[in-house]
This record gives sequence, structure tokens and C-alpha cells, in this order.
Amino acid sequence: MPAWVSRDPWRVSSPRTCPGTDRALTLESKGSKSKSQTAEEREVQDQGQDGNKGVSSGDVGSTFVEKSVKIRQDCMDLGVCTREKWAHVRDSKTGSSGIPVKLATNLFNLDLPQDWQLYQYHVTYIPDLASRRLRIALLYNHSKLSNHAKAFDGTILFLSQKLEEKVIELSTETQRGETVKMTVTLTRELPSSSPMCIQVFNIIFKKILKKLSMYQIGRNFYKPSEPVEIPQHKLSLWPGFAVCVSHFERSLLFGADVSYKVLRNETVLEFMTDLCYKIGTSCFTQMCEQQLIGLIVLTRYNNKTYRVDDIDWSVKPTHTFQRRDGSEITYIDYYRQQYNIILSDLNQPVLVSLLKSKRNDNTEPKIVHLIPELCFLTGLAGQATSDFQLMKAVAEEMRLSPLGRQQRLARLADDIQRNKDARFELETWGLHFGSQMSLTGRVLPSEKILMQDHVCQPMSAADWSKDIRTCKILNVQSLNKWLIVCSNRAENVIEGFLSCLRRVGSSMGFNVGYPKIIKVQENTAAFLRAIQQHVDLHVQLVMCILPSDQKNYYDSIKKYLSSDCPVPSQCVLSRTLNKQGMMMSIATKIALQMSCKLGGELWAVEIPLKSLMVVGIDTCKDTLGKQVVVVGFVASINPRITRWFSRCILQRTTTDIADCLKVFMTGALKEWYKHNHDLPARIIVYRDGVGDGQLRAVIEYEVPQLLSSVAESGSKTSSRLSVIVVRKKCLPRFFTEMNRTVQNAPVGTVVDSEATRPEWYDFYLITKAACRGTVSPTHYNVIYDDNGLKPDHMQRLTFKLCHLYYNWQGLISIPAPCQYAHKLTYLVAQSIHKEPNLELANYLFYL
Amino acid sequence: MPNRRASRNAYYFFVQEKIPELRRRGLPVARVADAIPYCSADWAKLVSTPLRKPGKFIPKPCFSPPDMSSLSLKSDQALLGGIFYFLNIYSHGELPPHCEQRFLPCEIGCVKYSLQEGIMAVFHSFINPGEIPRGFRFHCQAASDSTHKIPISNFEFGHDQATVLQNFYKFIHPNLGNWPSIYCKSDDRARVNWCLKRMARVSEIRQDIELLTVEDLVVGIYQQKFLKEPSKTWVRSLLDVAMWDYSSNTRCKWHEEHDILFCALAVCKKIAYCISNSLATLFGIQLTGAHIPLQDYEASNSVTPKMVVLDAGRYWNQRVESPGFSHFSCSNQEQRSNTPSDDYPSGVKIPGQNSHARGRGITRLLESISNSSSSIHKFSK
Repeated sequence: MPAWVSRDPWRVSSPRTCPGTDRALTLESKGSKSKSQTAEEREVQDQGQDGNKGVSSGDVGSTFVEKSVKIRQDCMDLGVCTREKWAHVRDSKTGSSGIPVKLATNLFNLDLPQDWQLYQYHVTYIPDLASRRLRIALLYNHSKLSNHAKAFDGTILFLSQKLEEKVIELSTETQRGETVKMTVTLTRELPSSSPMCIQVFNIIFKKILKKLSMYQIGRNFYKPSEPVEIPQHKLSLWPGFAVCVSHFERSLLFGADVSYKVLRNETVLEFMTDLCYKIGTSCFTQMCEQQLIGLIVLTRYNNKTYRVDDIDWSVKPTHTFQRRDGSEITYIDYYRQQYNIILSDLNQPVLVSLLKSKRNDNTEPKIVHLIPELCFLTGLAGQATSDFQLMKAVAEEMRLSPLGRQQRLARLADDIQRNKDARFELETWGLHFGSQMSLTGRVLPSEKILMQDHVCQPMSAADWSKDIRTCKILNVQSLNKWLIVCSNRAENVIEGFLSCLRRVGSSMGFNVGYPKIIKVQENTAAFLRAIQQHVDLHVQLVMCILPSDQKNYYDSIKKYLSSDCPVPSQCVLSRTLNKQGMMMSIATKIALQMSCKLGGELWAVEIPLKSLMVVGIDTCKDTLGKQVVVVGFVASINPRITRWFSRCILQRTTTDIADCLKVFMTGALKEWYKHNHDLPARIIVYRDGVGDGQLRAVIEYEVPQLLSSVAESGSKTSSRLSVIVVRKKCLPRFFTEMNRTVQNAPVGTVVDSEATRPEWYDFYLITKAACRGTVSPTHYNVIYDDNGLKPDHMQRLTFKLCHLYYNWQGLISIPAPCQYAHKLTYLVAQSIHKEPNLELANYLFYL
Repeated sequence: MPNRRASRNAYYFFVQEKIPELRRRGLPVARVADAIPYCSADWAKLVSTPLRKPGKFIPKPCFSPPDMSSLSLKSDQALLGGIFYFLNIYSHGELPPHCEQRFLPCEIGCVKYSLQEGIMAVFHSFINPGEIPRGFRFHCQAASDSTHKIPISNFEFGHDQATVLQNFYKFIHPNLGNWPSIYCKSDDRARVNWCLKRMARVSEIRQDIELLTVEDLVVGIYQQKFLKEPSKTWVRSLLDVAMWDYSSNTRCKWHEEHDILFCALAVCKKIAYCISNSLATLFGIQLTGAHIPLQDYEASNSVTPKMVVLDAGRYWNQRVESPGFSHFSCSNQEQRSNTPSDDYPSGVKIPGQNSHARGRGITRLLESISNSSSSIHKFSK
């Protein structure tokens, strides 16, 4: 690593040769932390550090007292035990309905001896050593410990076997000949169920994957030696895995999911040379900065990624920088000595990258200099993502079928079991890598879709648009006074579209009157002005036929009509209306959307619970201000769960934890009361957008807000509340095995055993059909449950709610209120940037 | 002794505020009582001072003075003629707290405004942000891209900070005398303040400008008129509207040409529009093209009128002396002395044409969009 701003004076020899470098503890002790850290150390800590800092890690595991131990965020969530509080799920949290189905998973058994324990030691040095590397190297090289399986971060040492004595004094010598005394003191014995152990297991697997020549980039592990090349687009894909070791319902399991790293076969230097040929030297630096800054590059000599924050044109590889020990060295010499790389272009500038500060203490970030010749571009640039052919080629490789995925997993398991070093590592720790786990899930019975005068049993729950084509929607007011604002050019398509819209509208029971059509020039100001001039109190809806997908049009119209002058609006691209062949289906979709925006109810499912309010909460970061989080809250306001009350607030914080739930909940309860003259007996809240490590914050900060507003709602028996955390991103995958091949599990598959967690009341539900690729389940974690519904009913209710998203005539992957909340926050974060007008709260104006 | 504090009235605070200035003038004033003789004249023509920290002057409704009607009339006039400057400075993002340089000023916009006149003059300039701290180019670029999109380097229109500041001072303070109070939105205050200080340091001009918030100003005007405090939500909703976002003659030329919403000048003009639209109407002022972009609502006048760059004071004098402005010149002596007699610095523009629309725009507008349109309730709220 060249050009660190601050350097460690203790760097005596090349530390890369010492065995300690592959340590991977995400632990950090307060006292001995040296100021300068290498990227390797940084990256090690990154895995535990990014994301929310709202919860202090000290909360986890009450036994940690003497040290501040940083724990991986996902491990922190595991320390949160919510299940034991609820009597109805303490013994069993499994449901009963549905047809049992045998499922294969991407989880592998990891067997431990019954009495397995982890021993935690504290190590001190005399004289005190600042360098972590040196501390580690000295300890690892000591003969006393060489036969032990160990993990060490410079202060805390973990061993799988107990040393004979509680305190051991060891003496060793540095390469300079100084004698150092190390005192190793036993501090704790941890059972295998401790969250600390999980972390050590993950470190062990990091070592193992390294032995299989996989390198950690970000959180995942990739194999650069077996790239998939896409030469026509100068791309290569590194195959790899996201892995995790954790305690699942009954045992310790190792989970792996296939992941790819997209790399461009082009160094930054090649990119620069190309650019220089293309545009000439006059504005080269400017163009170069414009195109390169912000991209992520990968340096293959150490497989690390960096963001290009700046380019320093004044520094050349022949220049020198100061090493840690104070000596000056040129970049050329550094790379020759350190990595045996000879730089060819001696006039290239250097790229500058700021390293993220690990601690949130506003210290000056470290700057790193990178040589363009050694940096490979990664990811896809904005231009590339709009290249259809390129994306198709990438998707073909990356979107694995269940079978392909299964084969890759089998090979990984095989590699781990066959590789001698890997096996040795596992054995010294006393672990045994077992077989791929299969379990039994259930396929829930399919739901009927209730239309106005028809009950429809769809052929496929994934898409019932054909099944309900002739059915009337539940309820919608007729659209009599509305506007179409369009550019002069779009005039010719409007007539055709309108007659189509009126036809499909009448067949679904939605009367669409003839609109007032306003033709304007093709600019944002003209659209906005026309709307301002023609919208009055009686206008029910404004439709804008936009000439292009320029963000300005959409943003300004939505902003004006959602907050200044609250009228539902429908934007359509004129390009869409030019697709003559698809006019009927386009008109149907638009008609459905318009009727929702007018407060219409499209369909319902049978909900056996009477007086139930369901709520969806989601958060989204505002695109303008990085410090602003948009929190959306959508609550049902009728027992049939077809009408919704939507609110949204902009919150000035850096965390995703919501502040304003009390106001929202009280508002929703008032709204419910207004429509039903009573308060709901039950409230079930689905909370989406909870990141790793935030579970405790949600329980301790958000749930009380909801509870207090429910308690204050004023009725004698207050509504009973349940809160469910919804996560779309989760590691487990489920396949059905059929005729010796594997397929995606069918929609409605619920998994509530084996792959779940013992300390949570949780389940997985597959509510999305994937025609290509592998489907991923959604994880539901019931963190608060006053309702005491049977787990079976909770699962089925959740499944039913996935049918109620009106923008899609089929099942979606999360409950409808969550998806509504997501749509709302997305609109606000992208376009409006302020609270929408409350007058629109009773309409799904954001669809 | 009885509670002396109770005797502190508006006049007391007025005098107190004047003391530093009197001292600057070399007058021997140690306390409020000493200063009273020098201030009584100013008090009489309070109309001339821009509203400073409005809350201080305004009696709370609980002890409202006996002669309400005359007072309200008098203060109305003071308010109507009072001149406010709305200022905004954009930066290429905000750098983290450990950096010495927190902001990189790149655009400044300012308008001179009174309730009576609407926008009287505008000032706009791009600023050369200087060297971008090493390593923060991406950060600044990203911040710029998501908002005003001003190039972070090699921008041809950027002026150096000393020149911009000097021109800005000439704009708000053309003659010697009181420095006016400058208002900006509360969200922007920290940034604008920092940028002003930074530019002053770079150009070695020492002048502390008092930066107040528009929100307080609105509260003050409202209190003055209705003797009660408006709700925060009302003030926020008043100032935060999207309807003028794409109005013609609102953004600076560069942002207009590139059709970029975020423009420092537009922010200031929109403050003026919002205040005109919501408050000026409360005073019964007929809105003109200088108050809100009326021309956008006149079907016949769809072409964007060109901005007139004022080349010399000649035009200004003409304007002041024209009969249409009589109430303006007689109501306020000091205002006249504030009017520039020398050349305006570059960047200063007076939207002259718009003022010709006075008195006819709004009626035409109301006719054209009658039938209780929602635009109407906006204009007559």
C-alpha cells in the first residue's frame, strides 16, 4: 500500500510474510489500536462497521464487560431474542395448513462436538507494542501456540483448546533482537451458542475460502482464477459466494449463495489512453476527471477495491513517498519490492482515494495513492447499464437457474471437503463440514380474488390479469372532470388512446368521461403553467403525456400536484402510447392505476379477521440531501383492506430508524375511527427497510412509539399490536427437487423450521414467481405480537396481503402495505423532496 | 424598586440597537438614556429601517396599544416600504467537519425586495470556488450533480471571490450608511454565513453582515399585521412551493438555458414571489410582474421577456422620478439615498420591464382563470 498519510513506525519487515496476516478478527480493543491501519485491517473491520451505528455493540451478550468488542452487524441481530417473550410461540412457531413439500437449501450442516467451547484470552505485551502486525506476528510464531487453532486480533486471542494454565507468560524476540514478554490471560469460556463464536466461525471460513484461492472483496469471496469472460464487452465476471455461518433453528449451519463480481478488462491507464486518442489533449484532464471520478477500481495485486475520489496530475510514479519508517521510496521501487510489479508508464498520474474512517469520530480520512496502470475498472458505468446487449450478456451469465446454482454449491462443498488445508483448518477447530440440508416446507392454499360480482380463482397466482379481464372492479367513482396535458406532437395518439381507455374502463366498471385536452409546448415550464392555469377544485385527475423521460417533467409535475395543489396525477410517456399493438393492455394498466388514484378499490381477498388494520412502513434515503431519510407509513382504513391511508415524512437523521411513528399511528387510528366508528381490534405492522444490526433499535425505539399511540387512542380496550420486520434480502434459498433436477419452490411456499432462528418468531415465504433465475424468499420476523395469532394464521395473513398490491395483478414479494410505503417514499425521495399534501392521504396517488 | 424591566418598550430596544452605530459615529453614548436624543428622529421615520429581528418591535397581542387602527396603518406603511434583501449562496457540497474548508461557494444570488414594489433589483454571479481540497473532487462533483450542476472546475463564468463580494457589497450597500439586514432561508443560513465569511477573508474585506432568516421575517410581518403569531407549518408551506419552479425570468440565464432547477437566484426570487403571493395580498397590494411572474399567465405574452441589464443609474433615476412611483419616494427619504447613483457592478440587474405590468396583470389574470380555479385561491389567500 503506497503513500499512507500516517505510517506505523513499527513496520520492521515486510509483514505480509508473517503468518499473522490472515487473521480476520472483527474485534477491536480500545487501548492498543494503532493509529495507522492498512487497507487489509480496514477491510476486516468494514464488515462489521458499515451500516447503522445507532446501537452500541456493548448491548450484545451481557457477559462482555471488560472490552468493547465490535461484532458483525448481522451477528448483533442474533443477540436479540424476541421469541421467548411470546408464550404462544415459545414451544412451536410452525404453521399447519398447506401441502408439505420437500425443499433443498443452500445451507450445510456444520457439526461440533457436544462440549465444544471457545476460550478467550487477553494478551499484553511488555514493552507495549503499538503495531498490531508485530503483536500478531510475535504471538503466531511462538512455539507454545503453534499447534493450536487460533484467531487473534492483537489483543484478544481465541483458542479452541484450553491452555494448561490460566495465565501464561511467553517470551520472544523481534527481528531487531528486542525481547518482548507476552502475558496471555484467560478471560472467558464461551459456549458454541455465543454470538462471539459465530464471529469466530466466520473468520475460520474466511481462512478456508482463502485456501481455496478465493479472495474477499467487500463482504463476499471471489475466485479470480476462474473468470467468466465476456470479450465482446470487455468484461469478465469473477464467480464467488456470499457466505455466512450461523445458528439456525436446530443446529449450526453454513450458508452460501452464488455471487458475481463484474470487472472490466481494462485498466484505468488503458482507459485514459483511449480517451486521450479520442478527444485529444486539450480538454483531456477535464474529461478524464469527469469520466473516472466516482468509479470503483480494483487493484489485482491485493484484490482490494477503492473509489476514485480525485486524480493527482502532479504526482508521477518516479516521485517518492514516505514509508512508515520514514524512509523515502519511489512508487516504482515500492511496487517492485512489494509486489514484484514493474511499472511501464512513468508519466501516469496517480489516482487518489479517501479511505472511510472506521470510527465515526470525524478524524481526518486517510488518503491513498493508486497507480492507474494497476487499477482495473469494476462494475458497469451508467452508459453500460443502458446497453441492452451488454446487460443481456451479463444477465445470461449471472442469472443462474436453480440447477446451475445447485451445481455451484455442490462444487463449493466438494472443494471444502477435499482441500487438504481447508480440512485441516476445520479439524483443528473441531468442526465437521456436513451435507447439504433439506427440509420440509408447506405450500399454502391459493387465494381467491374477490371482484365486484365475481369470485375468481386465478390459474396462476403470479399473474391473474387474464383471469379478471372481464370482471368489474370493486368500487370506483366515475371520472368526469379531468385534464390531459400533452405536447403538440403527441396530439395524434391521444384519440386512439382515449377511446381505448374508455372502452377498457367501462368493461371494468370505471366510467371515464371525456377530458379537457390542453396542448402545450415541449418544455417543463409550459406543462407546469398549463396545469396551474387549468386545474381547479373540481378537477379529479390530471394526465400528462410526457414527450420524454427527462426527470424534470415528472419531478416538477409530481411536486406541484402532490404538495402545492393536491390533485391525483398520471404521467404517461408519449412513446408508450405509440405502441399500437399493445394499446389494450397499456390502457388497462393505466385505467387501473387511475382508478386507484381516485380512491378506487380494485379487488380483495378473503380476510377472516374482522376489524384488522394492517400497516406498512418503509424508509428511503432522499436523493438530494444525504442527511434526509424519507419515512413512509401506509395503513388500511377498512376491514376489507382495500382502502389505504398514506403518510410520509422527511426526517433529518443518518439512521433509518423512524421518529415519527406516533404521529402516523395516531393519524391512522383517527382515520379508521372516522370510517368505522370504532377502533381496530388488531393492528399488524409490517416494517421494511431494516438493515443489519438495526433490529434492536426497531424493537426499543419504534415499537414503543407505536404502542404508546395505540394506548393513547382512547378506547377502553386498546387495539392489539403486532410488528413484523420484513426482509427481502436473505441468504437462504429453497428449491424443490423433481425428477433428479431442482426447480424454484412454488409461490406460497412457507418455511418455518430448520432455516429459521431459534431466538426469533420468524418464517420465510415465497410469494414471487421467477420465470428465469432463482427466486429468493422473503424473511418475516415477528418482533412484537400482542395479537397472539397462531403462527399458521400469521403466515396465511401475510400471504394474503401479498395479493393486494393494485399496481400489479398478481402476487408480489412483500405485503402490499410495505410495497405501497416503498412506492410513496421512493416518489418523495426521488421527485418531490417534501411532504405530500395531506388531502391526498386517502388516495394511492403515488402509484 | 418596581420592576424596571416592564418599562422596556419597543423604543427602548430600538435605541439599544442604535447604540453601536452612534458610537461608531463618535457620539458619547454609554447607555440607552444617553442615546435617546439622537434616536428620536430615526424613530419617527422608522419606516426607513428594514425590519430587523421583527419579533422585538412588535407588541404581543396581550398588551396591544389602545389606538390600533392608526398604529396598524402606520406600521403597515413602514412594512410596505421596507426593503429586504434575500440572499442565497450555493456550494459544491458540504465537506466533513474536520476539514478547514467546509463549503466551496460557487453561485450567489440576491434580490432587493419590498412588499410594495416587489423585486426591485437582482444580483447574481457565479463564483470561482477555488482549489478543491485534495481527495474531495468526487464528493463535490456528486453534490453538484444532484443539485445545481455547476461544473466544479474550469467554469468559464466563475468570478473570483473578491470581485464577487465587492460587487455584492456594492449591490446591498451602494452608499455609506446603514448596512441592510440580509435574509436567507433558515436551512441555508449556516452555509450562506460560512461562505460570506470565507469570501470576506479571502478578499480581506471586513464587514460583518447580519444574516437573518426569511422564516422570522415572515413571522414578523404577519405579527405586525395581525398581532398574532402564524403557525410554523403555515410559514413553511408558504415558502416551500413548487409552482414557480419553472417560471420564466426566475432562474439565472445559465440555469435557465440548461433547464436546471437549482439556482441561487431562483431561490431568492421564489422567496419574493411567495411573500408577495401570500403576504403582500394581505396588505391589499395589487400584485405586479415584479411581485410574481405574471407574464407567465398572460396568454398573449408567452415569449420570455429578456432581462434588462441596467447599465447606468440613468434608468434608475428615471424610474424613481416617474409618477408611478410617487408613493414610494415620498414615503421614504432614506430609500432614495439608498438608490444607486453610480454604476451598478456586473451581475446586478433590474427587472425593469416587469414593472410596467403593474395594475393590469392581476386583473387580466383573474379574469383568465376565473371559475374558482385553484390558482385563484393561491393568489388571493
